[in-house]
Amino acid sequence: MRGAHPGVVPGRRGRSRRYRAAAALGAAFLAAPMVAACGSGGGGGTTINVYYGPEENFQNVVEACNAKAAGRYRIVYNTLPREADGQREQMVRRLAAGDPGMDVLGLDVTWTPEFAEAGWIEEWAGQNRADVESGTLPGPLKTATYHGKLYAAPKNTNVQLLWYRDDLVPNPPQTWDEMLSMAEQLKQQGKPNEVLVTGAQYEGLVATYNTLVASSGGHIISDDGTRAVMDAGAVHALDELRKLATSPVADPSLSNDKEDSIRHTMEDGRAAFELNWPFVYASMRKDRPELAAHFKWAPYPGTLPGMPGKAAIGGFNLAVSTYSRHKPEAFEAAKCLRSAESQKYSAINSGVPPTIEAVYADPDMTQKYPMKDAILQELTDPAVRPITPAYQNASTVISTVLSPPSGIDPQRTADRLRKELQDALDSKGVLP
Amino acid sequence: MSEQLATAVASTATTTKAPEKGKAVLSEGKRAERRLGWLLCAPAAIVMLAVTGYPIVYSFWLSLQRFDLRFPARREFIGLDNYVTVLTSGYWWTAFGVTAVITVISVAIELVLGMILALIMHRALVGRGLVRTVSLIPYGIVTVVAAFSWRYAWTPKTGYLADLVSPGGAPLTERLPSLAIIILAEVWKTTPFMALLLMAGLALVPDDLLKAAAMDGASAWQRFVKVTLPVMKPAILVALLFRTLDAFRVFDNIFILTNGAQQTSSVSIQAYDNLIKGLNLGIGSTMSILIFLTVAVIAFLFVKGFGTAAPGSDQGGRR
Amino acid sequence: MAIIGGTETTGRKVRWALLDVVVVVYALVPVLWIVSLSFKTTDTLTDGNFIPRKWTLDNYRTIFTTTEFVRALGNSIGIALISTAIAVVLGTMAAYAIARLDFPGKRALIGVSLLIAMFPQVSLVSPLFETERTLGLFNTWPGLILPYITFALPLSIYTLSAFFREIPWELEKAAKMDGATPGQAFRRVIAPLAAPGVFTTAILVFIFCWNDFVFAISLTSTSASRTVPAALSFFTGSSQFEDPAGSISAAAVVITVPIIVFVLFFQRRIVAGLTSGAVKG
Repeated sequence: MRGAHPGVVPGRRGRSRRYRAAAALGAAFLAAPMVAACGSGGGGGTTINVYYGPEENFQNVVEACNAKAAGRYRIVYNTLPREADGQREQMVRRLAAGDPGMDVLGLDVTWTPEFAEAGWIEEWAGQNRADVESGTLPGPLKTATYHGKLYAAPKNTNVQLLWYRDDLVPNPPQTWDEMLSMAEQLKQQGKPNEVLVTGAQYEGLVATYNTLVASSGGHIISDDGTRAVMDAGAVHALDELRKLATSPVADPSLSNDKEDSIRHTMEDGRAAFELNWPFVYASMRKDRPELAAHFKWAPYPGTLPGMPGKAAIGGFNLAVSTYSRHKPEAFEAAKCLRSAESQKYSAINSGVPPTIEAVYADPDMTQKYPMKDAILQELTDPAVRPITPAYQNASTVISTVLSPPSGIDPQRTADRLRKELQDALDSKGVLP
Repeated sequence: MSEQLATAVASTATTTKAPEKGKAVLSEGKRAERRLGWLLCAPAAIVMLAVTGYPIVYSFWLSLQRFDLRFPARREFIGLDNYVTVLTSGYWWTAFGVTAVITVISVAIELVLGMILALIMHRALVGRGLVRTVSLIPYGIVTVVAAFSWRYAWTPKTGYLADLVSPGGAPLTERLPSLAIIILAEVWKTTPFMALLLMAGLALVPDDLLKAAAMDGASAWQRFVKVTLPVMKPAILVALLFRTLDAFRVFDNIFILTNGAQQTSSVSIQAYDNLIKGLNLGIGSTMSILIFLTVAVIAFLFVKGFGTAAPGSDQGGRR
Repeated sequence: MAIIGGTETTGRKVRWALLDVVVVVYALVPVLWIVSLSFKTTDTLTDGNFIPRKWTLDNYRTIFTTTEFVRALGNSIGIALISTAIAVVLGTMAAYAIARLDFPGKRALIGVSLLIAMFPQVSLVSPLFETERTLGLFNTWPGLILPYITFALPLSIYTLSAFFREIPWELEKAAKMDGATPGQAFRRVIAPLAAPGVFTTAILVFIFCWNDFVFAISLTSTSASRTVPAALSFFTGSSQFEDPAGSISAAAVVITVPIIVFVLFFQRRIVAGLTSGAVKG
């Protein structure tokens, strides 16, 4: 075995010996749990393995924190797959096996209850809790809390904004219907007109639907996370989604659209409106500087006249794994990675919105992160996605039932959702 | 059921040694032979039983429980509830239907193409070695690799096939085109294997018989239908049995091509999703058991219904 | 064939040659396509051309500098070799017994192997996941090697016993006459004669282990034991927006190389192995 991959990773020697022992013993009773990438770090100190999705420039944040740790520990950034489902699948599988190789976990905001309920992540108590709570925006904080306990530190938040071209529409639409009629007008004039949303069968569709439901004052799941509700607001939201999907201004590949593909379509100049996360701004400036001058943002359109939209909160929270062997260092590392300074760096360089309110007031932000006010405005009254340990099941059911969006029949779809969601919440249904 | 299958197979297998049977008293040498036989077979038998027999029983035990790794506190014995849940779920039957459709269509196409390929490999006047060599490539190639090749081929803009066949569309985002591509990928990969099995059968068709038929004025087609096919029947049935069971397990191609989106999940994909993504060991195990039973039924039907002799069973005749 | 005249033969040859071409195209196009993708530059990756317009080795350079891939390749090679070795040794023993010895329980063994050959692998995923999780075998080499051996055994038992029947067993008898025990006869006389069959079986078993995806993706979670087919589906690309198609293709080509080598050098053996273990009507 040792010859198979000579000297790639330090510290592998010990592990391969352990494998051999396990092999020799066959089904050895509780062979030493397998360590992932837990080699001895730089100067023989502790290694803190951070598992988090790909974020441009996050390595720089890690290095800054390593410099601060001054050799007490060294953070290693392990990149998870690009898509949320893939990230969760990888972490969950390892946690289910009690793998001690992960210390800090980058959790999508919707996963806190699931990971906490399963006992996979440590509670943030005492000083750690106080440190995280001070100055952090209440919306993001709520996503890290379960049953009154704090289980993660909000690293960055995210809200979708309405992105539009002010050379096509001088004033942004206030409501969903207004947006559709503006786009239809543009189509009649032969101008770029498409309305882009994340409509593929995945979490992005669920986030969009959540936003529409919250904007319509409805509920998908009861606040305590135990009952499928699907009230009138939720039905109204289904109708809005269907209207877009069956409208001539929908992207023909709507049922396949994810964040990145609609970003491309917008940059290609085919579309007039895009509902997407703020990362699109930096990208537009880089890829299409001439179009960027007309690329403007506004709060998410509402679905009821006179009511502003309530955008679903996205983003990532940092949690400490129960199976970590270096918990104090892991907490410290997590706090450093989400410190005000780190958040400012990430906001400016990677476009991810901070969770600490003070960062928004930083003078550097005004110029480099111009949409910060719109984001902050949305964050004051956001839609939080259902808080339930069965979120993943619920989300899978929602994205399946809503796909393709053009096939929605509001009342019927709502009834089906209610039934299947209830099964999902009781963890007794079959996942599609 | 499995016993019957085993007997069906083995009853003929033992004819290998038929003449030596029936000796009332075991000589010392006989006993040594016995011991050696057991000794030699024991490791293989133990491994096979330990890694399949025990888990399938354990799987059945798990399937009787409510057991979601995310709710460790809620683990309890619930009898057959999981079976009711799965068997009344529209998703399960959709996946079952998809699997059945993929199995039937791909095996049917493979049989025809495989027969043609087998005839080419068997009869080619030129390049027989070449044909045999290249057809082994689909057989040997890692399924995931081939699946990626098909995926990229059918991705708009990136692929050479997507714009050729359906300009402007994205075939892998629609249900029927996705299923067609999955079947295509399956057929491409396994036709050569089918052809090899059939070729083995073709080799047994006596040339004299074909010549005699030709003398009697039978056309090539008549010779194929009247002479070749009947002789090959056992080979065809075995090939069909193996490919049917194999196709029913379809997983790799779907995982890479669509990952079950647009209702293209097979039962294997669905079991995997419920287990690994949903971490629901109860439901996941229930699906495992149901898949196992289905496969057993298919095998049983082949053996009893069509009288398929399993490979190895005909070994007596070859000595 | 004697019936056919000389001039007709030429025409027939041309027709056969055409058929050959069809088969070659059928078998090679998907393979060549992934090869082509692996040599494309990032900006020409999405041009849809079957032949790259700009050639580059960058994708190969990238994957061989990624620990994720290098370790997966090591895992693939190590796990497949170990599983093959064990499965062939155990299979040889059992096949010898089946082909040569008479003992009660033989039918059962043949039956069990056959059942396993038809066993739906996915049915084992949930119990193995749970068992290996408890035993600490999850995400280890032995955790994959065990199921691989199990599913490779029927293949090797069938193929090997078919080969063993072709061996001139009189030699064994002669050795026994000279006073060798059955065990000695097996080791000294028969084993060398059986080597070609064993070698062929090893190739088939190796291809099987090399190919597996279901277990590889279910019973591993990190690069500690993840094999290439599973790792391929987890490739992330170096930044958030980079499509990893180039790296995936390059990695795919790398793991196809051994298959091509086997096929080119051992075509006859593989065909013989696959057909002998199967049907002889």
